Amino acid sequence: MIKEFEGKTEQEAIDKAVAALNLDREKFDVEILDAGKKGFFKKTNVKIKIHMHEDRAEETTIDTKNSNTTEIATNSDFEEKVLEFVSQVITKMGYSSKVMIAYRKDNKIGLNIVSEHSAIMIGKKGKNLDALQLLANVYAGQIDNTKKIVVDTENYRIRHEEQLVRMAYRTAVQVKKTKKSKLLEPMNPFERRLIHTALNDIVDVETKSEGEGLYKRVRIVHKSTRRSDLL
Amino acid sequence: MEKDLVEYIAKSLVDDPDNVSVNMIEGEKSTILELRVAQDDIGKVIGKHGRIAKAVRTILSASSTKDGKRVVLEILD
Repeated sequence: MIKEFEGKTEQEAIDKAVAALNLDREKFDVEILDAGKKGFFKKTNVKIKIHMHEDRAEETTIDTKNSNTTEIATNSDFEEKVLEFVSQVITKMGYSSKVMIAYRKDNKIGLNIVSEHSAIMIGKKGKNLDALQLLANVYAGQIDNTKKIVVDTENYRIRHEEQLVRMAYRTAVQVKKTKKSKLLEPMNPFERRLIHTALNDIVDVETKSEGEGLYKRVRIVHKSTRRSDLL
Repeated sequence: MEKDLVEYIAKSLVDDPDNVSVNMIEGEKSTILELRVAQDDIGKVIGKHGRIAKAVRTILSASSTKDGKRVVLEILD
């Protein structure tokens, strides 16, 4: 089993891998993919590839799934009701699951779904997870509209964010090389904001949103082309 | 079952759960679910720009993939 991790330093990337896979350092080999060229981006990341020893592979996948199951007990009627709503919806969809509170942060309550059907819980491009989250928020809003509910399973949201930022960096490099602008896939405001901030401190490229409605597309442009457009 | 699912979600979102009813019309390849709610609650199950209705339909299709039958949700007024 092979997995990739990123961190500001090699050690940080390895630490992340250890934490995410719940493995001892001796249980895998590390290959450095990208040592993070200095000064290329202001935020240079070191990318590593983890080679896990095969006989442990199956065990570790289960470990990864369970590593984030730190359960926090509900502390209010409100949380109890929202939790009950989400798990009832999933049960009535015909899937088994366990829904728990993963964190509380400011006005956000993070719910974690533990289910063997996590692929269905997530759906294409996180469609099902987003639908569940929307319904949970509408339901929760009737009781207390100051709270936001974040629904997640197997850390999908963090993994997806990292993947988006990585993709944005890759595309920015291409734009820098070719000086031709690139249009990304349609994304929701939250995802677009991630891209804009990620590429904000990269010299020579700019980002703009194009299109109408909730799902706009981000275009990455080389600054020199923009200047010649204006002249 | 999809009928219970729609009924549960609708009842959880409206002000008047007693006036929620779901009528199921079963076809060979697809099932049609007709959702009726109290007049004042229609906005609650549709949402701005149909956001809630869309989410319910997404959840329905995720639910129906396991038995390979299409489920169509119609909201009647």
